[in-house]
Amino acid sequence: MADPLKNGDSGLAGTREDVPANEPLILIEMIQRLKVRDVMTSELAAVERTDPLRVAQSLMKNKKISGVPVKEGGRFLGLVSINDIIQALEGGYIDDPCHKHMSTKLVVLEDDMPLSFALRYFNKYHYGRFPVINREQQLVGIVCQRDINRALLIELTQEFNRLESESVSHCVPEDPFNLYVLREFPVAKYDFENAGKAANMIRKVLKEKKFPLKDIRRVAVAAYELEINLCVHSDGGVLTWRMSKGRVEITASDSGPGIEDVEWACKDGNSTAIEWIRSLGFGAGMGLVNVKRVADEFEIHSKPGSGTTVRAVVFVEPRSTDHRQHDQN
Amino acid sequence: MMELSQIIRTCNLKSVVVHEEEIEIKGFYTSDLLSDVMAHCPEESLLITVQNHANTIAVATLVGVRAIVIVHNRAVPDEMKLLAEREGLALLTSSDDQFTLSCRIGGLTDNFE
Amino acid sequence: MTILEVTELLDGRILYKGEAAEVDFKHVVASDLMSDVLLVDEEDILLLTSLASDQVVRTAQIIGAVGIILVNGKLPPSSMAEIAAELGITLGRSGYSKYDACVAIHEALKK
Repeated sequence: MADPLKNGDSGLAGTREDVPANEPLILIEMIQRLKVRDVMTSELAAVERTDPLRVAQSLMKNKKISGVPVKEGGRFLGLVSINDIIQALEGGYIDDPCHKHMSTKLVVLEDDMPLSFALRYFNKYHYGRFPVINREQQLVGIVCQRDINRALLIELTQEFNRLESESVSHCVPEDPFNLYVLREFPVAKYDFENAGKAANMIRKVLKEKKFPLKDIRRVAVAAYELEINLCVHSDGGVLTWRMSKGRVEITASDSGPGIEDVEWACKDGNSTAIEWIRSLGFGAGMGLVNVKRVADEFEIHSKPGSGTTVRAVVFVEPRSTDHRQHDQN
Repeated sequence: MMELSQIIRTCNLKSVVVHEEEIEIKGFYTSDLLSDVMAHCPEESLLITVQNHANTIAVATLVGVRAIVIVHNRAVPDEMKLLAEREGLALLTSSDDQFTLSCRIGGLTDNFE
Repeated sequence: MTILEVTELLDGRILYKGEAAEVDFKHVVASDLMSDVLLVDEEDILLLTSLASDQVVRTAQIIGAVGIILVNGKLPPSSMAEIAAELGITLGRSGYSKYDACVAIHEALKK
């Protein structure tokens, strides 16, 4: 095994080839930018070189870890693994000091190496964890794959949040047709308190972007009816708002219970809504008819026992309005 | 108070089920909430509603409505027609919405009172 | 005519005064079915309804209504006024029946 402390010069350039060609750019950027110290666990359990192996064993048991670093005055010396403990128990030397049996030929990471370097080590050496040292060879942390996964997930979430808020509110203001949106709103069954919030939010954003009022109304009505439908008829589902280049697509999809007769359900006045829903002002069998009326494209798929997907598309580009008025005449 | 025939003619209503045009209408009510109709609709009245549903006939019968007008020209389901026949209720449709038809009839009652 | 004037005409009172309270409405919708309300293509709508529910306010916002008058003496649940305030929609109430409210508004508009 190569001495890792002298191995740091293989460096950044070599890491790129480990990244598959189809890896998203955002991830590549992230693993180059993050350092090992950003993801490592720094509060770590360690033993002193003179501690008996039994101390390492009980640390492993209590902290549920499979390896304990051995240090002397902060300096990293080696690692005691579960394997070492098993052998000590078998050989009857569990009370020997750690330094006598620890592994010293170890691969370690330095805290200012990029994360890509750590990933490369995990691929290369198939160890569960790597001790992390600083320039002074002091033990400062330990990294396992779980640490990396967690750090990447947190980073990715932040990145997505940033992108999402940019796509909605910081888009090129002078041309609203460049507005690109992908948003999902979960809708719970019978949650009348919140039903309609998604539609109102969509309407608000489109209004801020100064789309034509008539088109905003069409999008809002379609979104609202579909949102209410999810609330009234489905076991819960998701309302998705996709938008790009003036094409607004609202999709309601649920996983049940499905519609027996789709054609019947799309006819004015037909409804399976129960009386108390009707008393809330819904369930008069006008919902899908309304969506169809305002949409430029309408599509419904359903199977009893599985789910229903309804897709409505509204073009908010100025030229589409002529086309729609033509349809209405 | 006015005759149903008068309202049908002046407000351009379409008859779906009408047994007798010469009946007296003594009150008017506009609602789409059947619970409301049940609670507040006057007797021997005409009900303006968007609810093209057999339940509307059932509730109307209970409170003594004499005629129902379905607005927006909404299609009347067969079940509703049958029930209206059986209960002896007049069932009509209008191309107006609730507000416009209420105003029209309101204008008529002014002239007659 | 504004929703404030109508509320006065119908011996009602304003529960929340929103952004469009002073705007002249161009169209009146008198319905209790929200899908029915969503059918309307007009702008600056006054919504008369006897449905006292939060969804009325959300629907009013979707169609860009100037405001809502709750008729038939219906009392709104407290959440309804809260949502009206949150969305800036004027909300009034009156003891008039919807039919009588329609006729009264029509009379006033004729003058």
